[in-house]
Parts: sequence; structure tokens; C-alpha cells
Amino acid sequence: MYRNYLIRLKIAVLIVAVMILAGCSSSSEADEGEWRLVWEDNFDGPAGQSPNATRWGFDIGTDWGNAQLEYDTDRPENASLDGNGNLAIVARAESFSGRNYTSARMITKNRFERTYGRFEARMQLPWGQGLWPAFWLLGANIDEVSWPQCGEIDIMEYRGQEPTIIHGSLHGPGYSGGQPVTTSYQAVNDRFDTGFHVFAVEWEADEIRWYVDDALYQTVRSDGVPGEWVYDHPFYIILNLAVGGNYVGSPNLSTVFPQTMLVDYVRVYEAAE
Amino acid sequence: MNVKIFYRLIKVVLLLAIAGFTSCERDLDLLEPAEFPTNGDIFLDGISGGLDYQAFLNTKLDAISGDTDVKYSGEASLRITVPSVGDPSGFFSGGAFVAPGPRNLSGYDALTFWARASVNAPFGLAGFGNDNSGNSAYDASRSDIVLTTTWQKYIVPIPDASRLTQEKGLFQYSVGAFEELGFQVWLDEVKFEKLGTIAQPRAVVISNVITGEVGEVISAGVTGVIYNVNGKDITVNAAPGYFTLVSSNDAVARIGDDGSITGTGVGSAEITVKLGNVEVADIITINVTPAAPRPTAAAPTPTIAADSVISMFSNAYDNVPIDTWDTGWEFSTANVEDIQIAGNDVKKYTDLNFVGIEFATQTIDASSANRFHMNIWTPDPTAAPASFKVLLIDFGPDNAFDGGDDTSHELSFTAPLLASEQWVTIDVPLSDFAGLANRSNLAQLVLSGEPNTVYVDNVLFYSGEVAPPVAPTVPAPTPTVDAANVISMFSNAYNDVNVDTWDTGWEFSTANVDDIQVAGDDVKRYTALNFVGIEFATETIDATAMNRFHIDIWTPDPTAAPAAFKVLLVDFGPDGAFDGGDDSSHELTFTAPLLATEQWVSIDVPLSDFAGLANRANLAQMVLSGDPNTVYVDNVYFYDGEVTPPVGPTTPAPDPTAASGDVISVFSDAYTDIDRDLNPDWGQATVVTEELISGNNTMKYAGLNYQGIQLNANQDLTAAGMEFLHVDFWTANSTDLGIFLISPGDPAVETEYVLVPPAASGSWVSVDIPLSAFDPVDLADVFQFKFEGDGDIWIDNLYFYKSGGTNPTEPAGPAPDPTAAAGNVISVFSDAYTNIDSNLNPNWGQATVMTEVLISGNNTISYAGLNYQGIELAANQNLSAAGMEFLHIDFWTANSTDLGIFIISPGDPAVEQEYLLVPPAASGTWMSVDIPLSAFDPVDLADVFQFKFDGDGDIWIDNLYFYKN
Repeated sequence: MYRNYLIRLKIAVLIVAVMILAGCSSSSEADEGEWRLVWEDNFDGPAGQSPNATRWGFDIGTDWGNAQLEYDTDRPENASLDGNGNLAIVARAESFSGRNYTSARMITKNRFERTYGRFEARMQLPWGQGLWPAFWLLGANIDEVSWPQCGEIDIMEYRGQEPTIIHGSLHGPGYSGGQPVTTSYQAVNDRFDTGFHVFAVEWEADEIRWYVDDALYQTVRSDGVPGEWVYDHPFYIILNLAVGGNYVGSPNLSTVFPQTMLVDYVRVYEAAE
Repeated sequence: MNVKIFYRLIKVVLLLAIAGFTSCERDLDLLEPAEFPTNGDIFLDGISGGLDYQAFLNTKLDAISGDTDVKYSGEASLRITVPSVGDPSGFFSGGAFVAPGPRNLSGYDALTFWARASVNAPFGLAGFGNDNSGNSAYDASRSDIVLTTTWQKYIVPIPDASRLTQEKGLFQYSVGAFEELGFQVWLDEVKFEKLGTIAQPRAVVISNVITGEVGEVISAGVTGVIYNVNGKDITVNAAPGYFTLVSSNDAVARIGDDGSITGTGVGSAEITVKLGNVEVADIITINVTPAAPRPTAAAPTPTIAADSVISMFSNAYDNVPIDTWDTGWEFSTANVEDIQIAGNDVKKYTDLNFVGIEFATQTIDASSANRFHMNIWTPDPTAAPASFKVLLIDFGPDNAFDGGDDTSHELSFTAPLLASEQWVTIDVPLSDFAGLANRSNLAQLVLSGEPNTVYVDNVLFYSGEVAPPVAPTVPAPTPTVDAANVISMFSNAYNDVNVDTWDTGWEFSTANVDDIQVAGDDVKRYTALNFVGIEFATETIDATAMNRFHIDIWTPDPTAAPAAFKVLLVDFGPDGAFDGGDDSSHELTFTAPLLATEQWVSIDVPLSDFAGLANRANLAQMVLSGDPNTVYVDNVYFYDGEVTPPVGPTTPAPDPTAASGDVISVFSDAYTDIDRDLNPDWGQATVVTEELISGNNTMKYAGLNYQGIQLNANQDLTAAGMEFLHVDFWTANSTDLGIFLISPGDPAVETEYVLVPPAASGSWVSVDIPLSAFDPVDLADVFQFKFEGDGDIWIDNLYFYKSGGTNPTEPAGPAPDPTAAAGNVISVFSDAYTNIDSNLNPNWGQATVMTEVLISGNNTISYAGLNYQGIELAANQNLSAAGMEFLHIDFWTANSTDLGIFIISPGDPAVEQEYLLVPPAASGTWMSVDIPLSAFDPVDLADVFQFKFDGDGDIWIDNLYFYKN
């Protein structure tokens, strides 16, 4: 998710046929007996208010090594609370700093960085060719050791043209860019742009597990990566909505703008003793 | 799979329903909404219980059957047999699967099915919500499916499933031949499903700005919904009933319970389009205009006897059955409404671009009728080029659409027949529909044109008098060329060569040819002529020894330009065969005045005019075309004749030199002519025309025998001191030419002066005749001229003049030198200053002859024979900004009685003001005048762009400039 991100899915799509009925109790949230909440943002506040600056910073700029088309800003037009308890990251078709689209890329770098735990977010995703939302973690030592040595945990990535499929990945030394460790998850009788879903990883010293709602769809162990296991130091959180780029291709005439990624909450838990 | 899968359970279901009602004693108002069955299966291994297959009108009735060999899953599939074009069993396949009672489909989000076909072919329509009752509010379908030869799953999203709580139309389809051939379609697992993957509805909106009238039901133009299904857009056509429309202003546009929009007042309103609670389109702005005028009186009632009439629509007759007055064909925006005008039934079409009217179920046999009649009324503009068009279509002997024997013809009607806000009667011979080869199986009528709103009444065919086409009453002039020099294709005067056909019937040609006689003379009559091929390829014509082509034509049709008649000759080249790379051809176009209406026109041209015709040894085809619809043709032949060189002067007569003050002019551009009649009818054969030769008016006497000129006031040449008569003439063929001067008397007194050399000289000859040569004519009382002789003569500059007296007729020296400092001057014409750019002799149609002359080395403008004269400045001058105060001019005249100068600023009309130069009378000395610019009020001095001089006489001008002190 950091640069030169030419993923070609070679791993068979794993269709998890776990039938979760809508309207179930919030069993998707971490069980308090196993996990203890250590950090959260519920994005409560009036519409138009920028996200809490003590929790979130912004990466301002463009491309990010992925040929993304949007210019990411910290303007409320691109990232603000929606007044209904959600963060709205909005991708717009507009000319800005030499780019034809704007959006936002929010980070907890230098604000909240952590090793291990359950990282989850409840989100409703945008749709349409060329939209690329993501919820992911990046090694906080990136400025010292560079990427991919710092490690990258993609909790959720999604292509707007495939509204029923999300992807979870690991990028580390020897397995990055176009050759990450990745698994895809296809919703059954559902899609990710019509309602909220909880996307999570449970990260332990020797294992990372990916969940959609309550469905576990990928488990990667430290001896299961084709390179060094680098997930042993603090990571920070990124929420962003890219437009275009190598991973999704460009928007086309059918793409409707603006497009919004809603985030009900982001929560981080530590393992209960 | 066998027939029993079609067994219906209707009876059972009905019995249950009746039992349910009869046993119910409760107050119906307290009932919960009926819980209708939710069964969404249509075909799994057989038609789902109780469904009734109802074939659509004109379809193959036995189109569906079960197939146990070809199937996607289970035991059987549903096979649809699609008929080929021309199949008598039906035009296409299509029908509805109708449930015996309402079903609640609100829990589903799509109709799905698996399908394949015997060839890759479009599946015309697949959907639901049509119970074949004609009252389906929730019709939805896809029309973009292209089937392949492998099984694939297709999804038809439900636009708003919450609407489908009691739907009987579970499935509908229609599919026609592909590239005219029938094929087979197999469907399997046809059912409603809850997929959960259908989202992001976007309405298909024709336009976000719509218009309508007060009192009118206005279509929102919302025709469907685009859904994102698993990332791919699928468009489903959706009936208006699915959408919830909200008007921002009920006083402008009100939404009815049925979702229709009615214009309630003049103004604009915004319409929000929703599916359920979700906005699915950008706001539609509706502009409501005042109600347009509508007819207040009924159309004139036809008076034709009923037994002569086949009526499609009229209160005056029994009408034949019509399938539909609006077929709803793709791209047609028309709506039809049945209304009454003064108690008379009328069809009202709105938003008419074109509309199909179909009566294919029971086609009309109009073979015994000979006229078509309809009344129309429109509030819309009808001035040309607006037109109203009527297209008739006959299905041909097979009585079925297509099949290769359909024919049609469209007639276009324009003003003055077409008129606004009044009933217009269209009543035309059916023969005018020339392309309609048959009329025994008329099946469609298409109306189109510019009027948007059209009221229609009394649409009928009948048998009545048909006016014979206007025809020539005299034959074409009989050719006089010696038969030995002629190759005739068609003429009673010669033996004709063999012509294969006078109507090749080429594609797109609507022409018909008939052999008729005019006063005993054989003539070809072409009707509905757009173009016609004439072929003589079997025995090609070798016209190498010929040098001219001749054809006589006669048309009753308008021939004013730009109407044209065209003749194309085709030579097959040395190989004598079509194509082969050596064919050549050339088309000539003939227009008025040669072309004329209701008279024989002889087209007789050198073959060399067919410049593109590289050879003429193997002429094989001729194509006639053009605007006249009816053309009578005679005397078509090639011949060897003298090719007359073009005759006539190519340069104008030399300019006269006499000062206009010394002249009494009868005909000259150089002078003001006295009032006269150049072509009095004295019984002469001479044809008088005026020709422009390099812009110079010249009089032509063609075929002179004699020709007079009548002066409208008798001239006293003696008193005027006239001494000479001047005339310029040109002839290439005259052997005899004289000019007479005539004074009144009984008999009149006339004397001829023989113009020598009378022989054809081919150049201009200028003659100055002493008036004494006309003795004994009374020179104090001259009133006529006469020319006598032969040949073709061109005449110019006919005037009397005197040689000039003691008074100077032109300035002897230049105008005085100006004294203003150059820095204070804007100069238009002066050797003393740098002049601004201007056009000193713009063509404003003046008679004035403007020249620049050098007087003692000083450039001076000469206006000879001034009537008026302009000067155009290249750039508009802001005299105000430049601080200019005066206009200076020097002028000289010996004979002017009237002279004024104007300056002009632009505008519509332009603003001009005259300043009279006094003394205007001939002074014979240079006059210098300084005119305050205020004298030209109200001309805009900040924007001056022209001068004008107005008056008479010969004027010399110099030192024309603006200046300030």
C-alpha cells in the first residue's frame, strides 16, 4: 500500500460462506473478555468538523508512489465529521494543485503508534471504477528503515469497480508491491458500499488474522511469509480514499463523484491478560 | 419435458380465494394488507404452478415449449422458437407469464435467469411487471441482453421492489429474428431472487429541462434505472409508476396520484426524482408555458359517400380497427391523447417528432381507393421550411412486415397548404405516393414533421375524382436537323436506335415512365421523378461523329431557381462494358430561365459541354434527374450541327468623353439619361435585352429587323445647342444597319444614317454623326429613334452632344494649396498631406464616373456625371478625440446645379448630414470651403466612416481633410 503497488491476485479468492444475518447483535466487536479497548475515535461531533487533531494528522500531497490521481488535503471538504457519528472522507472531481481530484489520507503517525492488538474499523465504502479506499497500518520506523522493511498491514483494501470484494495483505521485505501476501473476501448476497461492515486484524507476535464482520478469512503466521517477519514494532493507522492509481485504474465516465467513505469508528484493543 | 408442465392451477387458486372471502365476516377496513403469495419462481423445470403464458399480439403463438435435452439444470429448460422474417406464424416471439392472482415480490431485488441461444443474438426484451392487461403500472425490463451459445446468468434488477406487493406479471419477453433468421433461445431457472448485490440506482433521464403547457400532462422523461450489479452497470427500463416525483411548486406542476405531472400554472418548478426515499437523479427543471391555442371548431366533416370511404378515424364514418395510434417506436417522443373538439373526436399529438400508427393486425386494402384524406390543426409555426409528412407503408403480398415486398412512400406538405391555427385538409391522390407499389395491405402510417402539437381528424382513404396531371397540349417542336446527321433515341421525326429501357428501376429511383401521346406525337412521361436511369448498353451509341445533344422537356412543376433539371451521360469506354476502369460520364445542370414551367424547353448543347465524358463511342446510359417531379420528354437525339461560337462583345463600349453638361443622353452609364422607352412595341421581331458587360449596361438587339426608342419628352436639340449624335455599336453578323432620327408629323419625318461599316466587325465602333445628317428631321422637336437592319447588335452610349462653348468645362489649373499645419490635419485626399486609408470609389450603385486626374501634376478627383458618390474610410475616425473642428474641401464645376457633401457615422440606419456647397452653380473656378463640423450634427463625430457627394454635373474635388486651428 505504500508504493509501486502492482498487486496481481494469484491467491485464489477465498469465498467465506459464513452467513451473517444483518441485524445481529454486535458480535463483530471485540469480546471484552479477550480484548481491552486502548484507543478509539467514534467520530462524534457536528457535521463539517475536522477530525480530532490529537488523534489524526494528514498526509498532504499526491501520487504516493502508486500513481494515485487525487491531491490529498486536510480540508473539511475532503475529511470531516458527518454529524451522524461518522467520519466522511470524500473524493471529489475538482481541479486542485494540478490534479483533477481531491481526497484525504489520515494518519495517526506520532499520535498513536502501537505493537500488537486488535485494530478494527466500521466502514461503508464508496463505489465506482477507480475508487480505492483503504484501512491499513504502516511501520512507524519507516523513516529509519524505509519501506518495505518497516512492514505494512493492509486491514482492508477495495476496488470501487468490485463492490463485493475486499482484500487483506501484508507487505514486507521480499513480499511487497505486486507480490504481497494477500487474500480476498467476497461478500455473499451483500456488498460493501450499501451498508457498514467491520474490518479488523488481530495482530499477535507470531500471527495476524483478518476479519470481515465476524468472519475470519486469512491467517498469516510468522513462518508463513516468503521473507522476514517484521511485525514486531509499533505501527500507525492510515485511513485514505485514493482515486485512480496502479491498483484500481482510473475513473471513467461511469464513475459518480463525489464519493464518500464513511467510518463509524476506529478502535484498537490490547489482548486481555 | 412434455406438455403437462403447462397445466394450469387457475381453478384451484380461484376456489381458494373465493373461499377465503366468503368466510370472512370481519370489517374489511380493519384487515391487514392481504398477504399475497411470495412465490417468485417462474420456470425451474416447468412453468411454475398457475402461471398463464399469454402470447403478445402478432407473435408466434407456439413460440414456447419445454426442452429436456438442452437445459442448464434439473430436468428441462424453456425453449423459445424465434420465427424468421416472413414466417407466417408470427412476426416475432413474445409473451407474458401471468400469475392467476397477485404475488408479493417485495422481498426480492431481481429477476434472474440462465439463458443461451442457438446463435449469438440480441434478446429483445426480458423483464417483469407486465400482466398483459394493458394496465401494468410496474413494467420493467432489460433490452440490452445479447445471448450467446453458452449458458449465462442474466439479472434484471427490480427498480423498487416495495412497489411489487401485488404483481401478476411475473415474466415477459420478446425476441425477433436476428439478421432476418429465426433461432432458438433456452431459458432456465427463471425466478425472482434476493441477491443483495444490486445497488447505486441512477435514473435514466432524457433531459433535465422539460417543458409543457398549462393543463397538459407532461412526461418526466424518466425511462429507467441504472444499477450497479457486482460492479457492472445494468440498465433496466422502468415504468413511471416506480418513481416518486416531488414538485417544488404545485402551482406550476402538480404530481398526480399516478405519478403523472400536470402543468398547473405558468412558471418553473423543480422535480425531484426518487426511488422509494432515495434521490436517483439530478433535479429536473420543468418550465410550464401558457396553454397553446387549440382548435375551437371541429374539422370540416367529410362529405364523401360512405360506400366510397375506408375510414381510419372519423366521426362521420365507421372506422376500421387500428392497432395503435402510437406505436411508441424507439426515438419517437410523441404522445397521443383522445380528446374532443366541439363534440368531435380528435387525436391530439404532442411532442411529435414522428409517430407510428399501426393497423397490421387487419391491414387496409385500399386498392379500390384512389385518394388519401386527413385533417390536421397545429398551433405551431408552419412557414416554410416547416413541413408535415405522411408516410404510408404497405406490407406487400405476403401481408407481413418485411419479407422483401414491403413498399412505402412519404409525402411532405408545406405552406401555404400547411397553416397554423386552422384546420388544414390534406387530400391527395394515392398515386402521389409513387413509391407505394401496392396498397392492398396497408399496415402503417407514420406522421412526422416540424409542428410539435398536431390535432388529427378524418383520416381516410376514398375513391374519388383524380385530376389528370397537367400535360402539354401541343407537341414539342419538330426537329429540323437533317436525319443524316442525327442519332435519335426518341423522336417521331427520326428512326430511333434501340434503347434497352427508359426506366432501369435502379434502387432509390421513384420514377415511373409512361408512353403517352400529345397531339399525336409520342412522348415519354416521367412521374415521381427523383432520378431515372435510361439504358442502351446492349447496343451502345457511337456519337463520335456527333457534336451536339438535344432533348425537349415539358414540366408542370415549378422551375424557378434553385430548381434544376440534370442530364448525365455515361460512356462505357473502349471496352464497351460497364466499369472496367474506362467508363466516363458528365452531368449538366439546367436551371431557369432556360428551364420553364408548362412550356416545351429545348435543351440543345454541344457535346463538348459534357467535359468529363472522355469518350462518346460507347454511350450506354443517360440519367435524368432534378426537381421537377413530372417531366415530359421528347426528341432525344445526338446530332452533328454547327457549333456556333459564342457571340457578343466581351468588353464594354469605350467610355464617352463629352462633358456631361454638353450631353443629352439617351442610353449611357456615363450620363444621366433622359426619360425614354427603350422597347416600344412597334410590332418588331427584334428581341431587346439589357446586358451587363463588365458592369456596363449595354443594349442588345437580337435578331434585329427594326427597333424604336421613344423619348418621353420631345427634345429641342436646337435650343440645347446640340451638334452631334454619338452611338457605340458592336456586331458580328449584321450586314445592314441604320439609325433613324424622327420628328413628329403626319407622316412623321425620319432620316436614316447608315452606320458604316455595317458588316460584322466583332469590335466596338464609335460613331459621331453631325445632326445635319438627319435633315429634314426637325431638330427642335425630336421624339424617336429607329434602328433598322439585320443580325445581332449591341448598342451603348447613345447621346446628343455639343463640342463645348467658350466657358471652360474643366479646371485649367490645380486647386490652391492647403495652408493648415500637417499636425492639425486628418487628410482624406490631398497631395499636401499624408492621407488616411480610404476607398475613393466604393460601389454604391452610383452612375457617377469617378477618376483621378493630374492637373498640372496635382492629383485631383473627377466626378463625371455625378448623381452621387461615396468615400469609405478604412478606419472609423474619432474627430472629437482628435480635436478636429472643420472639414475643408476644394471643388470645381462648370455645370453643376446642385452639390452637397455628407459625412456619415455608422448605425442602423447610418447617421448622415448634408452640407450644401454654395454656390452650387457652375462657377468655373476653384472654390475652397471650410465647414464647421458642428454643421454635420447629429452625425457622431467620434465615429465617422463615410463621405457622400450628391448632386449633378461634372465636379472636380481636391484637398478633402479635417483640421483644427
